Amino acid sequence: MSGGPPRGLPSTGPHSLLDMPHPLAGSSSEEAVGGDSTPSPDLLMARSFGDKDLILPNGGTPAGTSSPASSSSLLNRLQLDDDIDGETRDLFVTVDDPKKHVCTMETYITYRITTKSTRVEFDLPEYSVRRRYQDFDWLRNKLEESQPTHLIPPLPEKFVVKGVVDRFSEEFVETRRKALDKFLKRITDHPVLSFNEHFNIFLTAKDLNAYKKQGMALLSRVGESVKHVTGGYKLRSRPLEFAAIGDYLDTFALKLGTIDRIAQRIIKEEIEYLVELREHGPVYSTWSALEGELAEPLEGVSACIGHCSTALEELTDDMTEDFLPVLREYILYSDSMKGVLKKRDQVQAEYEAKLEAVALRKEDRPKVPADVEKCQDRMECFNADLKADMERWQSSKRQDFRQLLMGMADKNIQYYEKCLMAWESIIPLLQEKPEAK
Amino acid sequence: MEQAPPDLERQWQPAPLEPLGHPDAELQAAVDEEAEVSRDEGPGDGTMTENNFGLKKIEISVSEAEKRTGRNAMNMQETYTAYLIETRSVEHTDGQSVLTDSLWRRYSEFELLRNYLLVYYPHIVVPPLPEKRAEFVWHKLSADNMDPDFVERRRIGLENFLLRVASHPILCRDKIFYLFLTQEGNWKETVNETGFQLKADSRLKALNATFRVKNPDKRFTELKHYSDELQSVISHLLRVRARVADRLYGVYKVHGNYGRVFSEWSAIEKEMGDGLQSAGHHMDVYASSIDDILEDEEHYADQLKEYLFYAEALRAVCRKHELMQYDLEMAAQDLASKKQQCEELATGTVRTFSLKGMTTKLFGQETPEQREARIKVLEEQINEGEQQLKSKNLEGREFVKNAWADIERFKEQKNHDLKEALISYAVMQISMCKKGIQVWTNAKECFSKM
Repeated sequence: MSGGPPRGLPSTGPHSLLDMPHPLAGSSSEEAVGGDSTPSPDLLMARSFGDKDLILPNGGTPAGTSSPASSSSLLNRLQLDDDIDGETRDLFVTVDDPKKHVCTMETYITYRITTKSTRVEFDLPEYSVRRRYQDFDWLRNKLEESQPTHLIPPLPEKFVVKGVVDRFSEEFVETRRKALDKFLKRITDHPVLSFNEHFNIFLTAKDLNAYKKQGMALLSRVGESVKHVTGGYKLRSRPLEFAAIGDYLDTFALKLGTIDRIAQRIIKEEIEYLVELREHGPVYSTWSALEGELAEPLEGVSACIGHCSTALEELTDDMTEDFLPVLREYILYSDSMKGVLKKRDQVQAEYEAKLEAVALRKEDRPKVPADVEKCQDRMECFNADLKADMERWQSSKRQDFRQLLMGMADKNIQYYEKCLMAWESIIPLLQEKPEAK
Repeated sequence: MEQAPPDLERQWQPAPLEPLGHPDAELQAAVDEEAEVSRDEGPGDGTMTENNFGLKKIEISVSEAEKRTGRNAMNMQETYTAYLIETRSVEHTDGQSVLTDSLWRRYSEFELLRNYLLVYYPHIVVPPLPEKRAEFVWHKLSADNMDPDFVERRRIGLENFLLRVASHPILCRDKIFYLFLTQEGNWKETVNETGFQLKADSRLKALNATFRVKNPDKRFTELKHYSDELQSVISHLLRVRARVADRLYGVYKVHGNYGRVFSEWSAIEKEMGDGLQSAGHHMDVYASSIDDILEDEEHYADQLKEYLFYAEALRAVCRKHELMQYDLEMAAQDLASKKQQCEELATGTVRTFSLKGMTTKLFGQETPEQREARIKVLEEQINEGEQQLKSKNLEGREFVKNAWADIERFKEQKNHDLKEALISYAVMQISMCKKGIQVWTNAKECFSKM
């Protein structure tokens, strides 16, 4: 995506970045490295995701090269480079390298954010900064404030209520890292959001906290104006197309919720099955100790069951770490989208109310007053932004779920293949005649 | 322990069969004439097998099960299941089998047959019956004796029992067994007329012997220990396996929910709809595949159960040895004490306590004539006792020899059968894995078209 307003969208995306001086300009511009802990001179785009990762539109190719178009036959490979807009990419963001920080007041994790871009909005071609979850949270809030007409991607949940989850366990941190990476990549892919100045600051600022304290200085025009809609207006009826979106999102969230519950239940049943398996195998070992000729076959069966147990544990871990979080993200996503729909309703309601007020005044003027026109503008912009975002969302949702469900199928296939191998390898042992030994 | 005089070679014979009239003479002759007994490797899987019975090869099958109502001993109405036993003899010339006998028996009659065999062949590891009541069930199976799955598995188990007996080199020649297969009416009376219940050792006696025997054959002690351990480990295995089956059932069935929700979800989707819908169908297939899988596994469980019950039969043989040994020890002890008594009477020294000695002290010395009489009685008793001890010794040794021969035969059979069972279990697991791969590959294909 090259600089300038994306084609076809009459949105009033922020152009203000070019006007605003970079808050940190002049102080550390020669340093490419940001962050508060270890400097990382190596700014090569690290492979921050393993081969189990979801398909991400911003594939991990080095800056400057365009991603090859994908064909559906490549869907088996999870690292699919899919260029949604068909244009050359000029912004790449990756989240990796989680590190624990122990301070007097608290312990927390930071992640390294690596940015490579040829966009003019970036002073340097590469940046590396460290951010923690609350920084992401701040970014998201800012985006919601400044881009209320757009769909902002969800963050992974702040707290994990269920069970006793160790916030610092490798699995939890890795799951979170993937989600944060996905969050930033979704923004990167967005023709409007990716140009947001808060996003830019987030990616580049050495000291984000200082910037945060500056407050509301950088609200965009649309953000400002929409903020003033107090919500006192009631919409008579949603236009059909938005009503359809609302209905879709309602059902979608419902179905996802059901799938989430099913998936959790399956994992629970599998874990209970695993518990029994772990007792099952050793009984064959105990029996083997009693026997002569049967000792080896029985021990073999015991080992086999052990292999299957291990494979099952891997399956449940994978599903817990890779499958469930993505489902939950989408549920959060659709919730926030419904919020945006409501805001749109507000804007329309205000416009209609003002229009009605004008009509009631029965004035002779054929010309519509300026503020009503502004309302209409706002509404039309909102509608256009939302429609475009919905289309984009539908498309990547389709990609994401295709990958997610194929991944689920894959994990199950791998589980069965491991078990199959174990059992097939034991058949010759069982068939062995005693004389052959 | 007294040593018996040199052994007399004497063939161990089962208890004499009651002569029963005309058809039996022929059979008796036929059985006696038979020079060889074919040794089968053991059926193990409930299919028809051949054996040499008399002069003909026969095939036995328990082909049907039927629910019946009748009146029991207390004239109350009861429901029970009857099983059809068909016997076919195979003509050597053309290999065709001809149905020679078919009759109905109920479970209690099988029990009667087995109890008879236990009494008359205590040195044989007598094949066990399938369980009376369903045990080690996982939640789906009914524990009800009338449940069709249970009845079917019991039918197979009963057939297996008959085949095991028919292929045992010694048991197959038993008259009562032959009549069980051929004489429907009056068979129960015939068995009871043998008076086998009276010959049975009481449990109490056997237990008593177990605790008090001093010098049992070490091999039997070890074997008894083994059979205890085997019983314990197979029970544990069956219990855990049942729980595993239960859990596996849960895992598969929950996947069925995906079918419904994918279908509902596909209704609101445009391009994704078809893929979701068809994937959902595969999830349904997956969920329902577990029923057959677990049904197959039940057969494996039945094979394990047979050997669980065989462990009990093994233990019975060991107990019989203990009993005989204890008997022998008691007899020897008794003989020794009588001899000592005799000696004391002869020499006039009193070392052992005797009632006579006591009364003599109280009521006065006995006369020399009285003493002579007593010595004479004792000497007779000692003589008798020595004869008895000799024959008991012989019996004991015969028992050990024959029992151990059957135990070796049993061990071979057990190793073979259990290996086969383990192989079939592995094959079942392989089949389950392949089915799983198939279903998920199909689902993945559908997802890829989303």
